[in-house]
Amino acid sequence: MNVGSHEKPMLILKDIHKFYGTNEVLKGVSLEVKEGELVTFVGPSGCGKTTLLRLIGGFTDISSGDIILDGQRINDLPPNLRDTRICFQNYALFPHMTVAENVGYGLKINRWPKEKIAARVKELLEMVELAAFGDRMIDKLSGGQQQRVAFARALSLEPKVLLLDEPLSNLDANLRLVMREEIRKLQERLHITTVFVTHDQFEAMAISDRLVVMKNGLIEQVGTPIEIYERPANEFIASFVGYVNFMEGRVASIDTGTRNATVDTEFGPIEIRLDQEDTRAGEDVLMVIRPESVSLSLDCGTKRSNVICGTLKSYMYAGSLAKCTVTIGQKKMIIDQYNPRDAQRFTNADKVEIEIPRSVHLLKK
Amino acid sequence: MATAELSVKLQASSGSKVKDFLNANLVNILAGILFLLLAFFLLYPIIAVLIKSFRGPSGFTLQYYKAFFSKNYYYHSLYNTLLLGVINTVVCLVIGFCLAYMTTRGPWVLRKPLKIISLVPLIAPPYLFALSLIILFGRNGLITRMLDLHFELYGFGGVVVSQSLAFIPLAYMMIESTLMSLNPNLEESAYDMGASEATILRTITIPLLAPGLLKAALLIFVMTIAEFGNAAILGGRTPFLAPDTYTMITGESDFNMGSVLSVVLIAPCILIFFIHNYLLEGKKFTTIGGKPVASEPRKITPLIKVPFVIITTVAAGAIFICFAVVFVASFYKILGVTHNVVLSNYLDFTSNQAIYNSIRVSLVAAVIGAVIGVLLAYVIVRGQFFGRTFIEMVSLSGFALPGTVLGIGYLLAFSAPPLKLTGGIMILALNCVFRFLAVGVEAGISKLHQIHIEIEEASADLGASFLTTFIKIVMPIMFPAFIAGFIYTFMTAIVSLSAVVFLVSPGFDLAAVKIFDAAVYGEIGIASATTMKLVLIVAVCMMILNFITKKTRLGNGTAKTVA
Repeated sequence: MNVGSHEKPMLILKDIHKFYGTNEVLKGVSLEVKEGELVTFVGPSGCGKTTLLRLIGGFTDISSGDIILDGQRINDLPPNLRDTRICFQNYALFPHMTVAENVGYGLKINRWPKEKIAARVKELLEMVELAAFGDRMIDKLSGGQQQRVAFARALSLEPKVLLLDEPLSNLDANLRLVMREEIRKLQERLHITTVFVTHDQFEAMAISDRLVVMKNGLIEQVGTPIEIYERPANEFIASFVGYVNFMEGRVASIDTGTRNATVDTEFGPIEIRLDQEDTRAGEDVLMVIRPESVSLSLDCGTKRSNVICGTLKSYMYAGSLAKCTVTIGQKKMIIDQYNPRDAQRFTNADKVEIEIPRSVHLLKK
Repeated sequence: MATAELSVKLQASSGSKVKDFLNANLVNILAGILFLLLAFFLLYPIIAVLIKSFRGPSGFTLQYYKAFFSKNYYYHSLYNTLLLGVINTVVCLVIGFCLAYMTTRGPWVLRKPLKIISLVPLIAPPYLFALSLIILFGRNGLITRMLDLHFELYGFGGVVVSQSLAFIPLAYMMIESTLMSLNPNLEESAYDMGASEATILRTITIPLLAPGLLKAALLIFVMTIAEFGNAAILGGRTPFLAPDTYTMITGESDFNMGSVLSVVLIAPCILIFFIHNYLLEGKKFTTIGGKPVASEPRKITPLIKVPFVIITTVAAGAIFICFAVVFVASFYKILGVTHNVVLSNYLDFTSNQAIYNSIRVSLVAAVIGAVIGVLLAYVIVRGQFFGRTFIEMVSLSGFALPGTVLGIGYLLAFSAPPLKLTGGIMILALNCVFRFLAVGVEAGISKLHQIHIEIEEASADLGASFLTTFIKIVMPIMFPAFIAGFIYTFMTAIVSLSAVVFLVSPGFDLAAVKIFDAAVYGEIGIASATTMKLVLIVAVCMMILNFITKKTRLGNGTAKTVA
């Protein structure tokens, strides 16, 4: 979804710090989430993403900074008075209540009249395709169904911001893909501002408008999935979102008109097209080479540019792709060969040539 | 390699036929032996009591039961006992809940200290509270004299107070563990949906904890009505079943009436034990497991906070004062009457002799108890034979049995051949072993549940025989459970009073009995000093136990990641 700049920020985090004792788990986090946007906090465990989500929900006290929800500072409001609703990783459905009672819990607490509760619960259950399940007890539902109930319950009071804490991590792989799409569709349809937490970078890329990559209590980079994957800000992000081969080099020359540049490496010059503005000639850089961007072929000795000669160390056929490990002198590179059925087959110890694409991203050293 | 060596050794020593037989049937043989032990040392004494209550000089008779149900005195005794049970249970549950709620949901700074205070009575013999109440409110009590009060401590009220204080830690521990097992996200979800603290309690916490609370209530009820010390020391003229049984045996030597009282006391215990085991089985609400996180403190509304804080403070304060008072009293001949600080109470020969005897008995009990406990746990968890649940039930039932009943039972069962044990240290030790077996068994069971059967299967897969697997794999893994069982049995045995009071022989006093006698005869200084010695011993045991659990918990973590 394209987030227009005209949309107002629904949630603003201003320089948020959080201490547990002397342990600082959030070290100054600032972020704006626009109305209707789905933003994902992603990072390795212990990066502070769940703590940040709990701070927004009001379950954890903030040490310093401000949380502003729809123009109102909500730092000191307890969760029951905040217009945010959370969906926990383990769903936290009330096991002593039926599906309908779970979904209607918040409505009842907020003193809705009985008929209105019934109508709203029906509407919500239809929305998550569980209309026939209202009278079931929670333990009679599958994991995916429980997930939907939790989602419906969180949406029941039409919160301004929906908080999802690893909602898919308890589902099996296939169901996860299905639910991920459903959540995204529903979120777009309802145009509800959503903060999603996951440690799965691919899930994060697939579902989000923007990713917030975190590490050690700090935001490393905020960007669209394309920005994060193709133009990572640093080594950590580059290797966090998918596998990456790094290659050291020095920028030899830049053509300011075409933005073409040559990078000198130990394997010879590599020609690339710069995707960033701030690179200068003479800088030491690290090339971010994704496994799927490199093409691999037999023969060694063509004299085209960007082609390096190496030896195939291993070839692991995995159906949709083959994972190839190639050594070039001391250097090891992983290369994905897609659709190996129709491609050249290799055997170990073959001499191969690899072609570095011109689109590689450069990191400053 | 080592495995091969071992099996070679076994083969050499025992011959392969014996070995094969052992390998194939070891669990069953073990189960058989253990069952015989349980039958002989736990079931038989109870049956002996039952028989005694029906057998007069001329065979079967109901006359003793008729006597019981026709005398007003016994009705009173029964009524008092049950009423005490109900009041105590309610008081302990309320206080335990408040304490547990504060230590699991309250502000971080309060959690640790409150938890410690709630658990401190564990290191005290339960009659410590009776003793401290005498020191404070007895006829010559500090407060009685200071304020010139004219009320009677000895009676129902005194027993209720001292019993309640004594059972707070048990209530606290059980409720705390159910509170901890409750996924904090559930309450947070309710909070998130707009529920206030009180609403969360009413709609989520208490309904979800109901089975756990009921379990705690049943157990506390059983333990209070069976508890002997407080009622015997503070009961005065108010009759209660457990002390009445004692006077019936030691005072009037009426074993028949004593047995009837025991059966009456045991009936509600057995009833509740069955309710506990069958009605509540599987009645836990399953919550989808996430990562277990400690609940973060919430902003608790004054409506909840004020009563909780008051109850918590009063309970914690009372516990603290009781300990302090006994500690101070141990340095005076009679606190409040004599004014010289003396150490003579600690040097008292009979007291030290009693402590020494108690240690000896408890050590023997602990060794036997730990071995039997671990083996029973293994048989219960891994065995696949008919009657497995029955063995489990019997071995866990000791806890629900009133000590007085098992005391009389042992007296009846083992004072004559085929097995005459009375007068020795063994009868005391065995009595403790089988009364407190449940703890060791439970420790073993929970340890075994953490070990995947695959570990044993892996050992078998690598060529080890059952015997080898048992020696090389199971025993080392079970060792922490063994140690836990050992220390637990030791601490429980050393403070226990209700059963051994029937079994001690003249000239062989136990510390608990010594304290009881001293308290009854007004030798407050000696009673206090002996109590403090027990407190110290138990405290050391607790520290060791704590250390071991922490160590082995770390061990488990690594074992799990490896598996």
